[in-house]
Amino acid sequence: MFTRTDDKITASQAAVFLNNSVLGAGILTLPRGVSEAVKTPDSWISILLSGVIVMLVILLMVKLSQQFPGQTVFQYAGRISGKFIGGLLCLLLAIYFVVLAGFEIRSLAEVTLFFLLEGTPIWAVIVPFIWAGTYLVCGGINSIARVFQIILPISIVVLLISYGVSLRLFNLDHLRPVLSDGIAPVLRGLKPTVLVYTGCEVTMTLVAFMQQPRQAVKAMLAGIGLPLCLYLLTVLVVIGGLSIDSAITSTWPTIDLIRSFEITGFFVERLEFPLMVIWLMQMFCNFCSFFFQASLGFSQIFRLKLKPVIFVMVPLIFLASMVPKSVGDVFALGDAIGNMGIALFILIPLLHSGIWLLRKKGVKQNG
Amino acid sequence: MLSSIIAHIPDWLVFFQAAIAFLLPVGANYLYNILNAWGNTGRFTAAAAGRNAAHKDKTALSASQPSPSSASGTPFSGNYAADLQAIRSAIGSNSDLHFREFPLTKLHTKGTLIYVDGMQNDRLLNLRIMEYLMFEATADTLASPLNSVPAMPFSDLTAAADLTAFNRSVLFGHAGLLIDGMPHGLLIELPGGANRSVTEPVSEALLRGPRLGFSEVLSENTSMLRCQGFSDGLELKSYRIGNQMQKDLVIAYMKDIVNPELLQEVETRISTIDSDFLAESGYVEQLIEDNWLSPFQQVQNTERPDRVISALMEGRIAILLNGTPFALIVPVTFSMLLQSPEDYYERWLPGSLLRMLRFAAAFLALMAPALYISFISFHPGLIPTELAISIIEARQGVPFPSIIEVLILEVSIEILREAGIRLPKPVGPAMGIVGGLIIGDAAVNAGIVSPFLVIVVAVTAISSFSIPMYSAGITLRLLRFAGMLFAAFLGMFGTILFFLLLCSHLTKLKSFGVPYLTPVSPFRLRDWKDLFFRAPLSLMKRRPAMLKTQNDRRKSKV
Repeated sequence: MFTRTDDKITASQAAVFLNNSVLGAGILTLPRGVSEAVKTPDSWISILLSGVIVMLVILLMVKLSQQFPGQTVFQYAGRISGKFIGGLLCLLLAIYFVVLAGFEIRSLAEVTLFFLLEGTPIWAVIVPFIWAGTYLVCGGINSIARVFQIILPISIVVLLISYGVSLRLFNLDHLRPVLSDGIAPVLRGLKPTVLVYTGCEVTMTLVAFMQQPRQAVKAMLAGIGLPLCLYLLTVLVVIGGLSIDSAITSTWPTIDLIRSFEITGFFVERLEFPLMVIWLMQMFCNFCSFFFQASLGFSQIFRLKLKPVIFVMVPLIFLASMVPKSVGDVFALGDAIGNMGIALFILIPLLHSGIWLLRKKGVKQNG
Repeated sequence: MLSSIIAHIPDWLVFFQAAIAFLLPVGANYLYNILNAWGNTGRFTAAAAGRNAAHKDKTALSASQPSPSSASGTPFSGNYAADLQAIRSAIGSNSDLHFREFPLTKLHTKGTLIYVDGMQNDRLLNLRIMEYLMFEATADTLASPLNSVPAMPFSDLTAAADLTAFNRSVLFGHAGLLIDGMPHGLLIELPGGANRSVTEPVSEALLRGPRLGFSEVLSENTSMLRCQGFSDGLELKSYRIGNQMQKDLVIAYMKDIVNPELLQEVETRISTIDSDFLAESGYVEQLIEDNWLSPFQQVQNTERPDRVISALMEGRIAILLNGTPFALIVPVTFSMLLQSPEDYYERWLPGSLLRMLRFAAAFLALMAPALYISFISFHPGLIPTELAISIIEARQGVPFPSIIEVLILEVSIEILREAGIRLPKPVGPAMGIVGGLIIGDAAVNAGIVSPFLVIVVAVTAISSFSIPMYSAGITLRLLRFAGMLFAAFLGMFGTILFFLLLCSHLTKLKSFGVPYLTPVSPFRLRDWKDLFFRAPLSLMKRRPAMLKTQNDRRKSKV
């Protein structure tokens, strides 16, 4: 076939898709969130541990999705747990994606208003951004994955350069002592760190879009491995550079770290500008991913055409993003989303795998 | 619980904003659909492709025939006097048409030579052909056993199918021959109208590389392609397109390399062209491109035979039209617009360097004014303090916001550039100096624009000239203004939004089924050797993967 008519993505595209869905607001907020909970410099161990947990979760999701080739979770959930319960849970998942999209875009707007566009009305930032996302999402999963492929390498390069340059502030003493208070603080940090991986639920739909679903495990693990490394690096660099105390007190610790030094003799004195640029682009990816998942969910649950659903999502996401009244509300919403993500994980992949296993066993015994 | 929920319900203004946020994309989508349906009448569309496939036989038929009316074209009656009379009454009123009646002495019959002034070599016509016909032609030569065409010693000799075709060919410049006792009119001698000599391509000059450029004559152009080397792979397929005035069009491809599905696609699109007259290959380009609403060209045009032949060797297809020196190459990807044949003729290091320079120049040509606006008007804090201070000092006398300032200078530079194309050659440089130097300097002194902006605009203008494809340069000029508007509204945020929108659009765009941004995305590592870098020739062992060629080896040993 010279012209491809099917809307499928390759394994590498799927990996990039998952990566860009997960890698988002956390780059700027993770060091604070995790430090608040851990209160010792051991937060990087929490990240590693939670990364392993999330990998197991994703493995479960992939294995479940592979039982139903070509079907997304919105289609197969009904087949496992019955039309009503499955439909209800999927609706919950779709709403979760809407709220997530609203949350991402709201935190983007907060950062933009704080650093770039002081005094601009918030809708003037949010609405054009949603419109741009609508244009992309209308192109289908292939276009989205391709934009991700363009943006990801730029993000990684800029991120690594920024961190590399900020190593001049790095002080290993900020990360010591290791495990001074035992393992307890590390476990306390698990929850906020698991939360930065919210969005990994896209795995359950991505597998259906893959050209070769057999490569799904490798692709998805690679897709979650990259953000794991980047988050680990972020926490190491930020806490190593700022120390745990300043990381807790600042709202956006990563930007504060990058702002705290100047490179003389370069066109941009502070790397905060390129960091902001790639972070905005990364948030766009993040947002588009959830926007697409939400539209896909509603269109598949109610058997509607995708395009009208995308347009209906626009005001819903806008409203979702306008619900928090303040930055504090935004972070509270973030926590709520994290809890919701855990609940959804228990309800959908875990419960459904259980039911599926039971049913399969039952069939075998009967047969 | 309930009160906290109520407290978080946004006020009616937010709902109003949500409604606007909803209505605009819906309206835009509606408008797009209407525009698309409206603009796609009478040109190729993906939706119509299936329909066309059903009607393919019909269209192929009408493409091969001289005209839609030829289905009822008058046949030759076989009677010499009647045919001659019919020709006279049909086209005899043309003042430049000559009827030269002569006797054929050996046959004791007569014939008429019909030709148009100025399209034939008169000397040859008079001396050789007339001499042969009048004194040497015998009955044997007219009644050839081999085929319907008599055995006469002319290399170009065809029998016209019917009177309509005969008349048309004669007026196009063929010499027509009507002989008593022959059932058909004969066409001898190809038209030889006025044309210019072959010159160096004007729009794509190179320092190193062939100096040969296409001319307006199709047969010369195809011969230039043939002259590129010995091969039996190069295949040319001829079409005759146009309802009112027909023109010859040739599709060129390497038959053992090109993907047959791509070839099929191009043929379908060509045969669905429904137009009165194709004045230039730009007409063909616009009638077969995938998305006519996109600012980006989806077909590459070139006047260089070497560029065409290397594209054919990659598995692409070229379309040549009679009467224009611009050949079309399909499918095209974004990176091709920034590549020059010279990249391959120079050694790989300078080639790669120049290519990366061009990518940087394209970025500047697109983004520099937008970045200027967002830095100056929105985020002076993001640039080094000394620089910000000196720029702001220089701008102190300027009464306009930066967007107006940039627009003033950008528009005047665009006007200057447009005027420069039309200026007579001796005046051109003088006007360039007056327009560029004097007006720029005076504008700074008069306090309308800041000197820093003059640098930005000049760098932008020069960068856009470094793009090897003229039409791609126009696209970037156009988009630059869009970028400036985004920057004027939302600063850096708007600029990023503009970039993201551009990326989204480019990833959706396809040229004859090939995604426009290949090999960046979809990611094809193999093709990256010829993207920002130009890998050494010894490493480019395979043809581009994106074209899915039949035979993808460039070397005998891989």
